[in-house]
Amino acid sequence: MTSTKFDPRILKAPHPVPGAPDNWKRFFSFNTDAKVIGIQYIATSLLFLLVGGLLAMIVRGELITPPADLVDPTVYNGLYTMHGTVMLFLFLFPVLNGLNNLLIPTMIGAPDMAFPRLNAAAFWLVPVFAVLLMGSFFLPGGPAQAGWWSYPPISIQNPMGLFFNGEQLWLLAVALSGISSIFGAINFVTTIVRMRAPGMGFFKMPLYCWTAWGAQIIQLIGLPALTGGAIMLLFDLSFGTSFFRPEGGGDPVLYQHFFWFYSHPAVYVMVLPVFGIFSEVFTCYARKPLFGYKFVALASFGIVFLSLIVWVHHMFYTGTPNWMRILFMFTTMTIAVPTGVKVFAWVATLWGGKLRLTTPMLFCLGGLINFIFAGITGVMLGTVPIDIHVGNTYFVVAHFHYVIFNAIVLGVFAAVYHWFPKFTGHMYYEGLGKLHFALTFIGCTLNWLPLHWAGLLGMPRRVASYDPEFAIWNVIASIGAFMLGVAAIPFILNMVSSWARGPQSPPNPWGAIGLEWLLPSPPPAENFEDDVPTVINNPYGYGLGEPQVADEEYYIRRAQEA
Amino acid sequence: MQLNHTPGHIKHSGHNLTGFVIFLCSESIIFLAFFAGFTLFKLTSPEWLPPGVEGLEVRMPLINTVVLVSSSFVAYFAERYLHKGNLWGFRIVWFITMLMGAYFVYGQYVEWSSLEFGLGSGVFGGTFYLLTGFHGLHVITGIGLMGLMLYHSFRPGNYEKGDMGVTAVSLFWHFVDVIWIILFVLIYVWQRY
Amino acid sequence: MTTTTNNKSPNVGAIVIIAVAVALNLVLAVLMARWSYSWFPPQASSAAPYVDDLFALETGIGSFLWFGLTGVIGWTLLFNRAPKYDESYGEPIEGNNRLEITWTVIPTVIVFAIAIYSMQVNDKLDALGPKQKYALGTDPATVAAVDPRATVGPIDVIARQWSWEFIYPDGVRSSELHLPINQRVNFRLISEDVNHSFYVPAFRLKQDIIPGSVISYSLTPTREGRFRLRDAMFSGAYFSQNQTDVIVESDEAYSSWLKATAKQPLQPGLSPGSDLYAKRLANGDKGWATVPPAPAPLVNDPGDASIPHDA
Ligand code: HEA
Ligand code: HEA
Ligand code: CUA
Ligand SMILES: [Cu+2]
Repeated sequence: MTSTKFDPRILKAPHPVPGAPDNWKRFFSFNTDAKVIGIQYIATSLLFLLVGGLLAMIVRGELITPPADLVDPTVYNGLYTMHGTVMLFLFLFPVLNGLNNLLIPTMIGAPDMAFPRLNAAAFWLVPVFAVLLMGSFFLPGGPAQAGWWSYPPISIQNPMGLFFNGEQLWLLAVALSGISSIFGAINFVTTIVRMRAPGMGFFKMPLYCWTAWGAQIIQLIGLPALTGGAIMLLFDLSFGTSFFRPEGGGDPVLYQHFFWFYSHPAVYVMVLPVFGIFSEVFTCYARKPLFGYKFVALASFGIVFLSLIVWVHHMFYTGTPNWMRILFMFTTMTIAVPTGVKVFAWVATLWGGKLRLTTPMLFCLGGLINFIFAGITGVMLGTVPIDIHVGNTYFVVAHFHYVIFNAIVLGVFAAVYHWFPKFTGHMYYEGLGKLHFALTFIGCTLNWLPLHWAGLLGMPRRVASYDPEFAIWNVIASIGAFMLGVAAIPFILNMVSSWARGPQSPPNPWGAIGLEWLLPSPPPAENFEDDVPTVINNPYGYGLGEPQVADEEYYIRRAQEA
Repeated sequence: MQLNHTPGHIKHSGHNLTGFVIFLCSESIIFLAFFAGFTLFKLTSPEWLPPGVEGLEVRMPLINTVVLVSSSFVAYFAERYLHKGNLWGFRIVWFITMLMGAYFVYGQYVEWSSLEFGLGSGVFGGTFYLLTGFHGLHVITGIGLMGLMLYHSFRPGNYEKGDMGVTAVSLFWHFVDVIWIILFVLIYVWQRY
Repeated sequence: MTTTTNNKSPNVGAIVIIAVAVALNLVLAVLMARWSYSWFPPQASSAAPYVDDLFALETGIGSFLWFGLTGVIGWTLLFNRAPKYDESYGEPIEGNNRLEITWTVIPTVIVFAIAIYSMQVNDKLDALGPKQKYALGTDPATVAAVDPRATVGPIDVIARQWSWEFIYPDGVRSSELHLPINQRVNFRLISEDVNHSFYVPAFRLKQDIIPGSVISYSLTPTREGRFRLRDAMFSGAYFSQNQTDVIVESDEAYSSWLKATAKQPLQPGLSPGSDLYAKRLANGDKGWATVPPAPAPLVNDPGDASIPHDA
């Protein structure tokens, strides 16, 4: 390896090249580099977090007073439907796929994804269905208003009788999102199974890859079922069939099974990668190996398996016969066990560590305690008699925002901060990061903790107006929500200014262990290219004094010289 | 430097089949969902057949089934020819497979046009057309892919990197076949109850 | 466990701290469980006490877990922080099989215990009867099985976009649901348009109403008062208004209400959606598309939405 005057990788531009001026245009092209696609995904999805958040602000504005005074009730219904849809399909799934794109190849030492063009196609479907979904706001009848479940018969009522309607665009958008996710899933699974660095057996793989793998397997099994249900719903809506239409002998409850057969497992698609993020971040900033690595890794697949057999817990009060309720109550409760294995392992990892409270660490700690809380309310919902009372009330809304926002989104923020220096080559500002954390943590607690009580008292969800006895909880919640809106400011400021002129990042600013930290920041186009390290030890060997890969010194030096 | 750096770039082509098999497994779940829906409707609908409909004629579809199922074996022989390097043998037998597929589609068309119920005729009509239509779409896609492979076989040097494409398409064809067998049993054989 | 030597000689200090922490946590959990009873509306059905007890138990267990785990995390935040510029590592423990088994087995036992207890509570509620499909357009009354243990009913509960109608066995129709106290009542839940849900928070009971099916449902009110009945399954534009009251009264009051109401002429009952829809049309029909509300049901007792409810 003789040193050359110029870095030959420069010839491979447009790709990020250490030291070379950044080429912004590549982010707007059909680029097949996983690292470019990853950033495309993350930037797009954060934009839609803003959109979904804006819709949520209007929803919370409406709910700050009992009567429906801010918007018409039909508009309210459209807003919360689109809020849920945008947040799930345009924010959370894409942002996680973005992280997958950045992290999976670099963590396993692969040069790229297995199918780079399929990967780019999967990304470019996102703007396509985003346009469809956003466009539905401008239809004469307004966008879909039947909730993100889109339960028939309400979703197929089509009040204006027009062939093109909001519900139809919604279904098309969700179908495209499903196709995009399937493309992604095929890619991620193939990459993980076939392209790991030499020596990296499955039990030497970082946990993020384990959890992403499990999550993508869920996508492959669950999404087609939802697609099947969505096709049938579309036919009912637009082509006069009556699969779910009681007038024609159809069965509205069947749709619910299709929907939840996917959409329950989907919540683990969202949370599993965050379990991976927790594992990476806690070990790094507690300076300790992960406690019980193998158990934590295998628990991911315990969760994958169980997630496929619990969906009826969303239907305890929809006319499900008793034996089925009891059966699914038991399966639901068991999920607490593998999840507990992970939670206890993280706590044991923190125990006796040398904790460094950086921004990502703070977000993960906050996310973890919120997750435990949300899991416990989840178990409450899993017991039939409690669910019969609180189902479809704000208790459920509070439960799932506690997971989705207060744990998962916090975990996503942690990941964005933790890997920001690696993939942009710049450090972020800790002060702004900590301010972002403080506002977010206080805001999200104010927002979602009080609404549990509204739910226990019997406040239904999806209402534009409510009885005055629920007002107090809603006022506090709305204040918390507006605080979350404010929290976006330091975040955006931090991201934009750090990327533009943050200090240069060294290859491994956190002293972290993992293949991605052996690469320059930002990593070159094909990561390790032909020079992939051979993995010889377990991940997370903090304090064990064993190198993770053969010739570690060489790779560290190489990354620093780049 | 005496480094032991294994060349990291594992060639892409090796992954294609893996990816395709994963796709097929995933795809089969849509059919599974439809089959589950069909079974549930059949078992619970207060009224199943639309008024005036006695049931489905079985003889014609049975012939169709035999043609489609045997085409799977024919495709297998085509692949054998290719592995042995007999390019023309492959092309001819492969083309026969395509013809058999096309005959199946034609048979479907004839059946559809002779039926006295439509897509909107209750859940029976809906599920019938949904299942056979969705499957038919797959058959047509399969024929198209086979045509593409046939076309590629005339490209010089096409098989230098292996015959992955043909393997994948014939896998797809077997898949479409198995789905049809289940579908046939569900829709045509299980009418008596 | 803060010291590395605790395998050899028991560390008395650590054991005392742990014991005190666990005891405190237990006290906290019991307090939370007690407090949880106040988070509910009054208990107005025979089901309510069972639900609240189960919830209190789960609150107790949940609080113990949450405070316990958060406490441990808090402890590490206080005592395991790295000083600034300290780049050293924590103690490289990689795991412990005995601990892993412990924290697999104990949660398994806990969740199964909760599930078995919930199963028993569910038997006690004993509310859900059979669900029978019927062809829309035919008379649902011909298919529904009646609960033989109920002494009142079957009362037909008809939910529409967006109104409630209750039809008593002798043909009396009402917009509000009057029930005698301490008797098991049977309902037939019916919808002719979309999904709705029969939900009375003070009863702790909820059941979706599915068009195309008749669902037999039973409960026993145990407290007099005026309680809110809320549609809890999203049903379109005026869903949030689709509420009415349940009036639980003494036997005498109930029978005299039935008698008096039977003599009333049929008149349009509560239909909050219709009023709002009329207002919307008057304002130029702004907003997004909605189906028009079903006409107000014709009832003997139209009820009075202005009377405040107890819960
Ligand atoms: C996105 C992530 C996510 C996650 C991870 C979860 C996790 C869980 N959820 Fe949640 N849930 C949602 C998102 C999520 N949920 C959403 C979006 C909805 C509503 C959708 C809608 O209606 O619009 C919903 C709704 C929902 C319902 C339906 C309520 C209703 O509509 O009536 C139920 C019912 O069982 C439920 C249960 C659970 C359970 C048991 C878990 C478990 O996985 C939790 C397991 C975790 C723990 C238990 C904590 C850690 C464990 C320990 C510390 C060990 C010891 C614990 C014990 C012994 C208890 N959830
Ligand atoms: C990922 C999923 C997700 C997320 C993150 C959120 C976040 C929030 N949600 Fe919710 N929500 C859902 C998914 C989600 N939600 C779903 C699925 C439903 C059910 C819908 C249904 O019933 O059909 C629902 C329903 C729902 C309701 C119930 C409506 C009803 O039933 O009537 C409410 C009401 O309060 C609400 C509020 C909020 C609020 C205040 C936030 C806040 O946390 C939002 C805070 C965020 C911001 C204010 C934006 C900040 C932006 C940034 C930090 C990005 C920076 C940007 C750049 C760098 C460009 N949501
Ligand atoms: Cu796999 Cu290149
Ligand atoms: Cu679920």
